[in-house]
Amino acid sequence: MKKILLTVVALATAAGLAGAAVVYGGFYDISATDQHLAPTYRLLDIAMRRSIKLRAASVTVPSLDTIGALEHGAPLYRDHCAQCHGAPGVAPEPFALGLTPAAANLAHTGRAWPAEEIYWVVRHGIKMTGMPAWEQRLSESELWAVTAFVKKLPELSPPDYRRLVADIPPHDHAHDHGEEPAPQRPDAERGRRIIQQYACVTCHRIPGIVGPNAPVGPPLDGIATRAFIAGALRNEPAHMVRWLRSPQEVTPGSAMPDLGVDERDAHDIAAYLATLK
Amino acid sequence: MRVTALLALAWVALLAGCSDESRPVLGGDAENGRLLLRQFGCIGCHRIPGVAGATGNVGPPLDGVGRRVYLAGVLPNSPANMMRWIRDPQSFGFETAMPDLQVTESQARDMVAYLQELK
Ligand code: HEC
Ligand code: HEC
Ligand code: HEC
Repeated sequence: MKKILLTVVALATAAGLAGAAVVYGGFYDISATDQHLAPTYRLLDIAMRRSIKLRAASVTVPSLDTIGALEHGAPLYRDHCAQCHGAPGVAPEPFALGLTPAAANLAHTGRAWPAEEIYWVVRHGIKMTGMPAWEQRLSESELWAVTAFVKKLPELSPPDYRRLVADIPPHDHAHDHGEEPAPQRPDAERGRRIIQQYACVTCHRIPGIVGPNAPVGPPLDGIATRAFIAGALRNEPAHMVRWLRSPQEVTPGSAMPDLGVDERDAHDIAAYLATLK
Repeated sequence: MRVTALLALAWVALLAGCSDESRPVLGGDAENGRLLLRQFGCIGCHRIPGVAGATGNVGPPLDGVGRRVYLAGVLPNSPANMMRWIRDPQSFGFETAMPDLQVTESQARDMVAYLQELK
């Protein structure tokens, strides 16, 4: 008995020391270009979801139908949320594509989460992510209007959204950042790394890329052998590059926005996708 | 102790899952839908869990299509829109490789009953 106890204590001490060595040694990579390990991501995600569920349980939801989700919520969403989260057919701003974790696609959240949890997150924000707390910035009725709008998002097609916010001229990100030419030989490994910088995982399940796996668009498992891209282009490397760079030109009104993927990145990402047999 | 707590946490979270809120369904006979998906050759173009031989990879895999936010990237996914898509995919004003397979309304309803259950 005593021996077991001693072993347990020794093991615990060793584990503690190892943990301390990782932390103090600076071995944990906090850069936003290094994706989480899948178990770390899962654990953090579970902790976040449970934390929100627990705290949102006491929120009383007003009647969302009378709140003006579209008239009041849509402009608030466009001005305060779309920059990071994007909107149907609209990409997040370039800065937001560099966030880790990438801001979730809220069309999926609107469908999967109950209103009180969305409200709670908008109000309080999420620590250690880029999600701001809006409590001090939006009034109570605005918080609910934007929540009601997020619940409506999954029902809005990209043209619906465009019509709703039509009076504000759209911002074209496509040419915001420097353009690098096509590489001599596409680099699939670089493609795997760079794919994280375009928030692709907020909309697709992509083997080898850790993320929310939100099913906004089709899963990319087996995309290498799929006959068509988006049902519109025969699947060959040049077409994949075209799709990644200008989905809106291929399928006007597609929920996949033009993300400003440059020539080099598109070739490398296409090379990575070509490994997903 | 800490490990146990973590495991317990993970377990609770798994149970809680990320379940979708329920959405309206249009009725329909899912079991018959499953058979129809074979008869209409959907399986030649799509991977569909639970349907024998559904290993096609012309269009997107349909696993989890019940939770997918958009159909064909354009239509918000609802049972009604999925029926419209299956009955006449060529009618939406953009080019698509999915053909019009002459599916009747009640056949489409049965297929949708099956597909919407794929979470
Ligand atoms: C500066 C960027 C930024 C802005 C602006 C922003 N968010 Fe976020 N949001 C994030 C990030 C980053 C996360 C955490 C990552 C994630 O989505 O899990 C997040 C998470 C969320 C979540 C949880 C989603 C989920 O599925 O995990 C909701 C809901 C949300 N935001 C709503 C909003 C709303 C509504 C607004 C506008 C009022 C807004 N956000 C503005 C960056 C932002
Ligand atoms: C806002 C959500 C969103 C983002 C972000 C996004 N996609 Fe998509 N993607 C979609 C949707 C929706 C479709 C279905 C389009 C269609 O059929 O018109 C799609 C289709 C595709 C397809 C074709 C899949 C098939 O089965 O035919 C590929 C490949 C793809 N996306 C890759 C990417 C890559 C790589 C990125 C990042 C550079 C990305 N997507 C970012 C929503 C998104
Ligand atoms: C000749 C090949 C082909 C056949 C046969 C076919 N489909 Fe499709 N299907 C596609 C393609 C390609 C797409 C992608 C469409 C797009 O994005 O434009 C698609 C898309 C879909 C989608 C939307 C999936 C998503 O993620 O957007 C559903 C649902 C669907 N098909 C169901 C069916 C059913 C049910 C049948 C049988 C009645 C069927 N399909 C037969 C090729 C086919």
